[in-house]
Amino acid sequence: MAMIEFHDVSKLYPGGSPALSGVSLSIASGELVFLAGPSGAGKSTLLKMIAAIERPSTGRVLVNGQDIGGIKPRGLPYLRRKLGLILQEQRLLMDRSVLANVMLPLVVTGAAVEHAEKRARAALDKVGLLAKAAGMPQSLSGGEQQRVSIARAIVHRPRVILADEPTANLDRDSANLVLATLKAFHGAGVTCVVSTHDEYFLDRADRVIYLGQGRITEAWQRNPVAEVVT
Amino acid sequence: MKMWLRQHLFAIKNALPRPGRGFGSFAFNVLVVAIALALPFAGLTVLENMRPVSAQLAVEPEISVFMGVDTPRARAAALAPEIQQVLARNRSAAIMEFVPRENALNALKERSGIAEAITTLGNNPLPDGYVLKLAGFDNAQDAGRVDQIAVELKALPGVDYVQVDSAWVKRLSALLNVLRLALLLLAATLGVVVVAVVFNTVRLQVMTQREEIEVSRLVGATDGFICRPFYYSGALLGLAAGALALGVVALGLRPLNAAIAEFARLYASEFQLLPLGGLLTALLLAVSAVLGLCGAMLSVRRHLGRAA
Repeated sequence: MAMIEFHDVSKLYPGGSPALSGVSLSIASGELVFLAGPSGAGKSTLLKMIAAIERPSTGRVLVNGQDIGGIKPRGLPYLRRKLGLILQEQRLLMDRSVLANVMLPLVVTGAAVEHAEKRARAALDKVGLLAKAAGMPQSLSGGEQQRVSIARAIVHRPRVILADEPTANLDRDSANLVLATLKAFHGAGVTCVVSTHDEYFLDRADRVIYLGQGRITEAWQRNPVAEVVT
Repeated sequence: MKMWLRQHLFAIKNALPRPGRGFGSFAFNVLVVAIALALPFAGLTVLENMRPVSAQLAVEPEISVFMGVDTPRARAAALAPEIQQVLARNRSAAIMEFVPRENALNALKERSGIAEAITTLGNNPLPDGYVLKLAGFDNAQDAGRVDQIAVELKALPGVDYVQVDSAWVKRLSALLNVLRLALLLLAATLGVVVVAVVFNTVRLQVMTQREEIEVSRLVGATDGFICRPFYYSGALLGLAAGALALGVVALGLRPLNAAIAEFARLYASEFQLLPLGGLLTALLLAVSAVLGLCGAMLSVRRHLGRAA
């Protein structure tokens, strides 16, 4: 079953060239897909559309069967609670502890503090940062901050993880840890869409979609989706 | 229900000012709003203290009915049922006292301090009379009814003169109405000031917390979740300012009462201003909080859209 579908999607910004142009694709539930391409190819726009941060100018984007173009602003939070967002700039709240940052996606849903804290500690443990839970984000390195943002993206057990250049500016060890975490979630049945320039990632990918100037220029799949899911 | 409560508790916790997180500016804003609120609160305190005085005066207006000097005592005494009929026609009740001319003269001698001069008059120049203390008169509008009763009493046979004391009741009542209206306008104007101050305070909060708002939206926070701390913050600001203003007014009454006591002594009175009662205090605190909430709601609606 398709978790994410793009049907002839275009995105035009006023006064600019098209960020996406006639993109159609389908990503199955539980699939791990990498988006590749040069800067300005439309990778981030595509990810933002899945999270309904951007809306298509034309065409339809379906997430879990739901047309994001038809979602009213009031309904957006409930879509985003099914997603885990990992952004290139980590966007951690610097006046809160690492633990409080990771707890945020649960706190906004009204979860009990004890429950949120327990889950946040487990998520931090997964990314190897449990020991730094009480620290402040600014005391962490760039790689560690990115791992905190991954913990924040997975703490509420999303059905889809969207990662925009998650390994940019990370050393190889940190990048490997990020990849391993994403693969672990993929293994647990979570749909992952990752944009990257990292050839090391792409060499190990099962499915890659190349974008250029807002269009899909190339796409290949190492194994059938069904095998990945099973 | 539990989740709903948790979200509100979280919002309240986030709205509370803390040292190092906007406490200084919160305290300063409370001071500014309190100054704006103190003026109408002080005016209301004065009016509330005057209300029992004016109410008492208005509730029991008096009518003095004087018989002709040559009206026989029997005729004067027989007038009581006719006075009752006039009152009944005007749907009024009264405590009626017949004052014989002898009693009136004795009272005049006792009170005026001109007893010797009165004695030299020989004959009693005062007529028999009735004093009516009317009941059930609540406001200045009722004073018109008093006038009607007076006209009818004047028309009774044997009655020479009717004196109504409702004119000055009307004047006092009208003066208090003007003061009330002025206070209402002042309160409305300063209410707008309060809303504007809170509006600006919350605008600054929204700007400083823009990153937090954006991240919260990305992880699935609803508008309610994002707005609630600002609402509580505005209401808290209004509440704290209202409490401070009430405290300032209560403290200000002490030196004012000392001066009033001195003044009242000159009129053999013991009038003094009392702080507002519990119910009214609670009402003013609620109004302050609501004004703060309104300012916050307006600001959040305007600025959160932009932050989005």
